[in-house]
Amino acid sequence: MFKITNKQILARNVKRLDIKAPLIASRVKPGQFVMIIVREGGEWLPMAVAEAEPMRGQITFIFQESNAITVELGAMTIGEDIFSIIGPLGKPATIDKSGVIVCLATGVGTAQILPICKALKKAGNKVVGIIGAKSKNTLTLEPQMRISCSRLIIATEDGTYERRGLASEMLKEILSTEIVRHVYAVGSVEMMQSVCQMTQDRGIKTHVLLQPAMACGMGFCGSCRVRVEGKVVLACVEGPLFDGHHVNFEHYKTRLATYGMSQSRMGEQDQQDEMTKSITKFFPGLLGK
Amino acid sequence: MTQFKPTIQPVAKRVRNFQEISIGFPKKSMVDEGIRCPQCHNSPCAHACPLGIDIPGFIRLIREGDSAGALSKIREANDLPAICGRVCMAPCEKSCIFSEHKQSIAIRALERYASDHGRPRFASKKTITRTGKKVAVIGSGPAGLVAAAQLAKAGFKVTVHEMMPLLGGALRYGIPEFRLPKNVLDAEIEEIRSLGVEFKTNFAVGQSMKFEQFVGEGYSAVLLTVGKNSLSLLDLPGADLGGVYYAKEILLTVNTRFEDQYKKNPAPVIGPKVAVIGHSNAALDCARTCLRLGRDVTLIFSETIEDLKVYPDDVEFAREEGLKFEALTKPLNILAASPSSNLAAGVQCVRMDFADVNGKWDLKPVPSSEFVVEAQTVILAAGFKTSMKPLAFGADLKTREDGSLWIDPETSLTSVPHLYAAGDAVVATSSVVDAMASGKKAAQAIIKAVR
Repeated sequence: MFKITNKQILARNVKRLDIKAPLIASRVKPGQFVMIIVREGGEWLPMAVAEAEPMRGQITFIFQESNAITVELGAMTIGEDIFSIIGPLGKPATIDKSGVIVCLATGVGTAQILPICKALKKAGNKVVGIIGAKSKNTLTLEPQMRISCSRLIIATEDGTYERRGLASEMLKEILSTEIVRHVYAVGSVEMMQSVCQMTQDRGIKTHVLLQPAMACGMGFCGSCRVRVEGKVVLACVEGPLFDGHHVNFEHYKTRLATYGMSQSRMGEQDQQDEMTKSITKFFPGLLGK
Repeated sequence: MTQFKPTIQPVAKRVRNFQEISIGFPKKSMVDEGIRCPQCHNSPCAHACPLGIDIPGFIRLIREGDSAGALSKIREANDLPAICGRVCMAPCEKSCIFSEHKQSIAIRALERYASDHGRPRFASKKTITRTGKKVAVIGSGPAGLVAAAQLAKAGFKVTVHEMMPLLGGALRYGIPEFRLPKNVLDAEIEEIRSLGVEFKTNFAVGQSMKFEQFVGEGYSAVLLTVGKNSLSLLDLPGADLGGVYYAKEILLTVNTRFEDQYKKNPAPVIGPKVAVIGHSNAALDCARTCLRLGRDVTLIFSETIEDLKVYPDDVEFAREEGLKFEALTKPLNILAASPSSNLAAGVQCVRMDFADVNGKWDLKPVPSSEFVVEAQTVILAAGFKTSMKPLAFGADLKTREDGSLWIDPETSLTSVPHLYAAGDAVVATSSVVDAMASGKKAAQAIIKAVR
């Protein structure tokens, strides 16, 4: 049992929970995730640890209410207990000093990139953060990102705050002015794909964070299989951070669509493309019996 | 006299619930079954048992009506009798002298009867001399539980580290309720807890926990019983289509979630027609889970029905429940609904038959015998393997070719000092009783080495 110590509503449908979990807080590294079961007898849910405070024994989740489980988690109040948190799982990101590093995130992907930004800045890199959001009121974690990045660029699609445009367009600007060593990208599949295309011909190493459907997170259920370098691997064991130039994004899109998940699950909620629509059409037929 | 048959739930009722199939054992029939035992003086059953239970001894006590005495006799060698009495593959029954006519003594049922009815009414006082040494066990599966019980009885302070929120490992998350009820498992774990074993749940020995940290915390020995914790991916064409799942995903969700909620909304989504590919207990469990959800299920395997690696009664039960068997059938690929679709619609199979291949009797595909099994959901009950990747234990462990851990057969010690291994992680067969036997052996090796 893990007690919720604090709760905050950050934006529309985006919530922040602080949870007492001393063992995980002292061991989690940037890029790793945990599996949670909200109540006994419930489903499993992978969740990124946005912040960890080992001194207070506390971890922070930032998530968007996009399906039944996250809505249930979002409805919990301070003092309630989460049934189970298992972690840390997955491979941590490799943090070393290399120069200018761009960290790109859209939507709630910001929560996943925040610990990586912090660690990279602490290692002595110049971290340029780029956050993409639909409009000002869906923007999250701006103050935390300002502290953990050397420079922060905010791009909103409707131009209600700071710059107008897509996050990947901002990356193009930076690539033309600075010598970038690494790029980290978290968010919608389209964004990660366009970032990888941009960096491929320049030879910049790009790390993408994949979030396929996960049932266990420990490498024995096989629901999170993705194709990297022509081989099928499990994202929970080998990832979730992968070299973006080797990931087969078409295969990843198919896997996301087969589980009926929105392609930009961590991004904006109402973005739906045709593949996802076809699956939602198909599922009622399946459930009919 | 013929073999004893337990009272079972009627088929029409049991395909709609997840409760245990066998509803009870009348005392008279169990005594009769005990009387049928000829008490062979060389006792082949006791020699066949990996745990070395004195089988003729406890049957003698049941025959006299002393089920409590029988239970304590079993407990001398076996720490989880109620579990063995339900899910053991029963090598003892295969070696029984009556097995030729399929009339072997129902030893498994007798063990279950003893463990269910012989439980003492009051807590018994156990005196254990403490040695003051600490041992860590990683994983609370059958091997881990048995090793913990053995070590605790020898006076060690045992701490079991379990990654999942509830204890039991493969017993809880790999076997559905209708084969092993969760309350039986809980009762057995409580029995082990009463020996003074400490359990730590939600403790993932993951990427950031090093083996040295355990030694630093004052543990004299660490026993790894991680089981077959990883999946060996199949290279069947079409395995990445929607609706294709691996068996563990189904078993994990059915065992984690409450029954009524699972029936209403089985996630992952299971279509009206299901094909299960595999020949193991996991395959049969998945198939019977889907039958209980009212689906039309076909089991595809490339052996004969007699060669299925399951307890014979389970095949019989599954057939009664409406499972279709496609024996001697090899799956070739999984077909999509249409070329542009990413959802499975069927499995293309080919019949196999015994043929003379270079003077050897072997299976060969029958020419032009291809057919399609229609299925919206395909479950792959593939082989499981041990992998240290999800653990990354910080220790350079020697492994065998198939990924399982290398251990010294005498001492159960891995290539790292103070680090022992047991259970499915080292045993080639994945049966509960073999894992328990290896856990017991490792515990005895630790007792010898640490004391």
